Parts: sequence; structure tokens; C-alpha cells
Amino acid sequence: MSNARLAFVDLTGGYGGAIVVRGISGNVRAGEVLCVLGRNGVGKSTLVKLLMGHLRCWSGEILHTGTAIQHLECSARSRYGISYCPQERTVFDDLSVRNNLTLMGDNRDLGRFEAYFARFPILKRRLKQQAGSLSGGEKKILSFSRALSEGKGVTLLDEPSEGVQWENILHMAALINDSKRAGASMVIVEQNLEFAETIADRYLVLDQGRVVLEGTRRDLNREDLLSHLHV
Amino acid sequence: MQDLIAAQTINLIYAVTLLAVLSLGLAVIFGLLGVLNLAHGEFIMLGAYCAVVVRQNGWPFLTAIPLAILVCGSIGYVIEVLIMRRLYRRTFDTLVATWGLSLLLRKSAEAVFGLTYRSVETPLPGTIDVFGVPYPAYRLAVIGLGATAIFVLAIWYGNSRTGLRIRAMTGNPELAQSLGLSVKRLAAGTFVTGTCLAALSGVMIAPLVPVFPYMGLDYVLRTFFVIVVGGLGSVIGLVYGALAIGGLDSAVSAFSNGTYGYLSVIVLAIAFLWLRPRGIHVRG
Ligand SMILES: Nc1ncnc2c1ncn2[C@@H]1O[C@H](COP(=O)(O)OP(=O)(O)OP(=O)(O)O)[C@@H](O)[C@H]1O
Ligand SMILES: [Mg+2]
Repeated sequence: MSNARLAFVDLTGGYGGAIVVRGISGNVRAGEVLCVLGRNGVGKSTLVKLLMGHLRCWSGEILHTGTAIQHLECSARSRYGISYCPQERTVFDDLSVRNNLTLMGDNRDLGRFEAYFARFPILKRRLKQQAGSLSGGEKKILSFSRALSEGKGVTLLDEPSEGVQWENILHMAALINDSKRAGASMVIVEQNLEFAETIADRYLVLDQGRVVLEGTRRDLNREDLLSHLHV
Repeated sequence: MQDLIAAQTINLIYAVTLLAVLSLGLAVIFGLLGVLNLAHGEFIMLGAYCAVVVRQNGWPFLTAIPLAILVCGSIGYVIEVLIMRRLYRRTFDTLVATWGLSLLLRKSAEAVFGLTYRSVETPLPGTIDVFGVPYPAYRLAVIGLGATAIFVLAIWYGNSRTGLRIRAMTGNPELAQSLGLSVKRLAAGTFVTGTCLAALSGVMIAPLVPVFPYMGLDYVLRTFFVIVVGGLGSVIGLVYGALAIGGLDSAVSAFSNGTYGYLSVIVLAIAFLWLRPRGIHVRG
């Protein structure tokens, strides 16, 4: 806990008066991936939105390398060192693919995306195209590449593989494992257990806004995980 | 006959450019922030008074430009921070707030300058021959400067880093924030830019019209019509809108008189609000 890059303690939050996340704790260390699993509608995206600051926490604490950040607004958390890929509305539709990638960088140089272009040549081919014209899976790839290339300490990915072809999911896994080796910490929401198994160090399984199962990849076997994922 | 056509053509170009420039500030604030700034005309009026003050003190005409930016930029900033920031997305509340602001600015101008009409001596006296027709030099300058300003703004918005970030903010504010963009700062910057553009267009028209505290009322209506007809979100739409409104107004006024020109403009705007509320040019 003390050496966690990102830790959250007893978080609660929701929409309007409706509580969705009912006291969730967890943490992720440098070079580690925490996979958040659970059925539809159990509060996975809500948890990530609380971590990013799109929703205000009703109670609980979020610590970035030991400093409380739950009172910071979203853009301030980003500058603190958190990248985020939302589950929906993943890119800027009116901007070109190139501008989606370089919007926040110090320059418009594409050099730092070479590793991503090598695995996803489609991005390079479509640089000039409006991001809105990409398919859902292609947008996910663009959003994924944008977030990972930011190279921030913590990356939050909300269902990055949704609608993406298996071949490209494997490329995503390889890139995630490269970032891990470079010391990145990630919280990844997933529904695809095969993908999760290739990247996760630890799991956090949610049901109805609570943690129902957690542990390392070694501790938990497939049947236990599956029993919480399917009805 | 040829002279008449030449004169009417250049008059038309002049009317359209002027109207487009007067509308820029309103279009920026409405298109990007969704706020219909009913005090837009008052910022034009304040810009015009900056020209009056500068001339009264015997300073060069161009010093009105920094003065207008300073005065209207500061007012715009204070209003954004104190009021507008809390009201984005609440359309009706922004209407009431900017309407109140327009009253306040009008009455303040009345208190400071009185109700008398002022005129500003033109900085470019004399005429220049265009296609054999002598035309006031200052009006030609307005056409040149106005067209350049619109062109530069369009290029800047389409290509600059800040322009891209503003588009990111309006298109997907949540994502923009999680990339570290401060939506608050961008919105404040956009609002202040809109008020400054209004003020600068006010400086520009000061030598052409009588300056008085109520002059803004007419402009806010006309520029609103331009936006209604042209559609939001692109400079091209703004130019189309100015063409339709300015063109119709000058054409009808040329053949009958100004009242009918104005009437035809209102009818056109109502027709658009009714039949095609998103304007001629809808962003794709
Ligand atoms: N914007 C919103 N306003 C109100 N309720 C919402 C909103 N977004 C989600 N909810 C509700 O909160 C609950 C949790 O939603 P959440 O999006 O966190 O689920 P999830 O685990 O990410 O599901 P999925 O796997 O479908 O993405 C659901 O019951 C949902 O209906
Ligand atoms: Mg979700």
C-alpha cells in the first residue's frame, strides 16, 4: 500500500442521488496492471470516472504516490500524471487522426508514435482522415495509442479491446507489457478474459458497486473469475 | 450606367464585409460556448466610444485599438469569471444575464458620455478611384482589413494549436479535460476573444456612424440575423449569412428605402428560424 503508485480507499460515488460505487479500495504499483472485471452495469466505468475526476467522490481517498488528489479536478489530475481512455466517445471526432495524437504534445512530431504505427499501420495510413470517420474499433486503437504514448505514470483504460479485432488486441497486449516493463502503472477495465489474462498482474472483481473478489493472477483461477462474469 | 453598377457592387461588398466583421464576436461566443451574448451590441458601442475618447484627446486613431482591447477584454473577463462561468449550458439563464449586462453597459455609457451623438473624424479622408468611381478611402480600408481579419481568423482556427484545442473542447469536453486541457481557461479565453472582436469592430465603424449609448441595439439584431441565416460553427457560414442579410438589405434599400430593407431582413430571418433553424451552412 505504501509503495503504491495509485491507491484508492473506500471510494463511493454515483450519479445524482443514485449511489453506484459503494466503498471500493484498491491500488496499483509501478510496473503493474490492475484489471477491473465484472458484469455489465456493476460500476466499472463509474470507478474509473471517479479516479479520473469526471465524477466527484462522495467519500474516500485517492492517493497518487502518497498524495491525496481526490479534490483535484480532472485536468489537474491529468497534469499530475494520469492518462485516460474512456469507454465511449473515445476520440475527437472533428479532428484528424494526426491532430488527435499530437493535440497535447510539445510538438507535432510523429516520431514518438513509431512503435504504435508499426503495430497499427492503419493509424499511419489514416493520419489525415477525420477521426469521426473511423470504425469503433479503430477509434479504440487511436485512443489507446494516444494514451499510452503520453507516457504518464498512471494509465486508466476503460474496455480498450471493445470492438477491436483479436489480432490487434494482441498488439495492444504487447504494447501494454512494454509499458509495464518501462515502469508504467495501469488500471484496465475489461470484459475479455483472454486479453486480461495476458496483461493483468492483479484482479479486482466488482459486483453491484462492491469488490467481490481480488488477488494476483496466480491466486485466482479461471473458474472463480468466470463465475462472477457470467450470469 | 456602368458607373452605377460599379458603385452598387462595391457598396454591396462593403456592406457584407462590415456585417461579417460586426458578427464575428457574436459568432465566436455563440458558436463555441453556446451563449447568445445579448450584450454584443454594447461591446461594439464601447469599442466605438474608445475611438471617440482617443480622438477627443488628440491621440492617433489607431491607439483606440489597444484601448478597446484593454477595456472590453477586462470587462469580458470579469463578466466571464463572475457570471458566465456558472451559466454555460443553461441557455435561458445566459440570455437573462447578458440582457442584464447590456442594460448595465448602456446605462453606464449614458452616465459617462451622455445621450448626445458623437462623431469620429475619419482617419483616412479622401477618395480612391475604383473602376473609375471615386470611393471613400476609409471604406476601402474597411473592406480590406475586414476581409483580411476574417481570413486570418479562419486559418488560425483551422490550424493553430489553440484553435484545435478549442475544437476539441467544444466537440468532446470530457475527453479534452482528461487530456489536461483546462476547459475553464479555454472558455474564458474564448469569451474574452469574442468581446474583444466586438470592440474592435466598434472601433472600425466609429468613423462611419453616429456614436451614442443605444447604437448597440441595432447591431445585436442584425448580427443575430446573420448567425441565424448563416448557421453556426464555421467562418464560411458567417460569410454566407452576411452575404444574405447584407446583400438583401442593400439591394432592397437601393431600390426602395432603408425601412423596406430592414423589413426584408427580418422576414428572411424569421423564415430561416422557422424553416431552416440550423442555417445555410451546417457543419458536417
Ligand atoms: N450518466 C449516468 N447517469 C445515471 N446513471 C448512470 C450513468 N452512467 C451509468 N449509470 C448507471 O450506473 C450503473 C453503473 O454503470 P457503469 O457504466 O459504471 O457500469 P459498467 O460496469 O461500466 O458497465 P459496462 O460493462 O456496461 O460498461 C448502471 O446501473 C448505469 O445504469
Ligand atoms: Mg463501462
